[in-house]
Amino acid sequence: MARSWATMEDFEAFLDDGGLVEVDDDMPDPYRQAVFAFIEMHANSELMGGLTERDWIPKTPGLRHKMAVLAKTQDEIGHGHLLYMVAADLGVKTRAQMLGDLFAGRSRFHNVFHYRAVTWGDQVAIAFLVDAAALISQQAVFKNCSYGPYKRILRRIIAEEGFHMRLGEDRMMRIAEGTGPQRQLFQESLDRWFWPALQLFGPDSKPDDVLLRWHIKSERNEVLRDRWIQKFVPMLQGYGFTIPAPELRYDAETRRWDVGPIDWEPLKRTLAQGGPDSARRIREAADNWSRTAWVRAAMSNGTAA
Amino acid sequence: MHVYEVFVKKDGRDEFRHVGALEAANDDLALVLAREAYLRRAEGDRMWVVRRDHVVAAADDFVDPNADKPHRHHDGAAVAARRKAARQSQG
Repeated sequence: MARSWATMEDFEAFLDDGGLVEVDDDMPDPYRQAVFAFIEMHANSELMGGLTERDWIPKTPGLRHKMAVLAKTQDEIGHGHLLYMVAADLGVKTRAQMLGDLFAGRSRFHNVFHYRAVTWGDQVAIAFLVDAAALISQQAVFKNCSYGPYKRILRRIIAEEGFHMRLGEDRMMRIAEGTGPQRQLFQESLDRWFWPALQLFGPDSKPDDVLLRWHIKSERNEVLRDRWIQKFVPMLQGYGFTIPAPELRYDAETRRWDVGPIDWEPLKRTLAQGGPDSARRIREAADNWSRTAWVRAAMSNGTAA
Repeated sequence: MHVYEVFVKKDGRDEFRHVGALEAANDDLALVLAREAYLRRAEGDRMWVVRRDHVVAAADDFVDPNADKPHRHHDGAAVAARRKAARQSQG
């Protein structure tokens, strides 16, 4: 054990002072559990997102974009790989247990991967709005994260998510400059994905949120959500699309957009594994895992080189 | 399978930096996986992988004693005070 703390007060003072906790430190168990649960959910989301991305490789229009989707799929699966390693090192669950729980529907992953992407417009909306939301929340974690191994892995994940967001913006611009039917396709996708993307940040943070108190997250959910709204509402409107929020209004005095009341019911239902596409996605992820068992068997055979 | 720690050095400058870890069956596969996981976009031009169970780590009480050897340091305060006194006596 490299470091230990006599009391929770000592530990929290260390965190408040900007201290970084390392894997072999004798951290308090509630902290270990909280940071593990957070990283496990992030890892699951990267894996589920990567599998969605993979589904679109054959359907992506144009060779250049198809190759970009290949690279992005490798990035997302790679992020899952790195994060499962960081999570497993905490000693709460092994990688096999985490994957077992995910495929049995016992684990959480981001709400957006519980819905089905039907059209290319959906995939563009996800690549743009959802990747941007994920990036905003990861940046806020990275800025002041008290768990050293997670903070260091986030540095590379954020760099790669930046590529993805620009790719998503590039695609959105092409659609915006496209034909009437193309613009209509994206508007329909925006209508479907605007609210799930916004809800990726979750409901307002509770005052006693331990993730904030222990500097695992550095900003409140509502602050991050608002940052996304202020950036993407005017941008999408600038490209001539309509924000699907009937009570959307602009406050000229504060120069801020307000999307009106948010209906949290879909998020609550979805996180209880009740999303419209949850069962199919989890089944496909589990099937994919069994189909690729031979690759892992070959890779774990130390005689291969 | 073994856990390997991965270190990367960039552009012929700086020092090797720890970037993360991975699981692999042997050294050769660890290098392949480390390249695919950590060096997809020219993040470095040199790479080390080290089996975690081969890392020799010092216990903290082994490192601690340096804190009680102030004679190995000189903070310069006494020298600065004498310089100042010398300047003032000349001025």
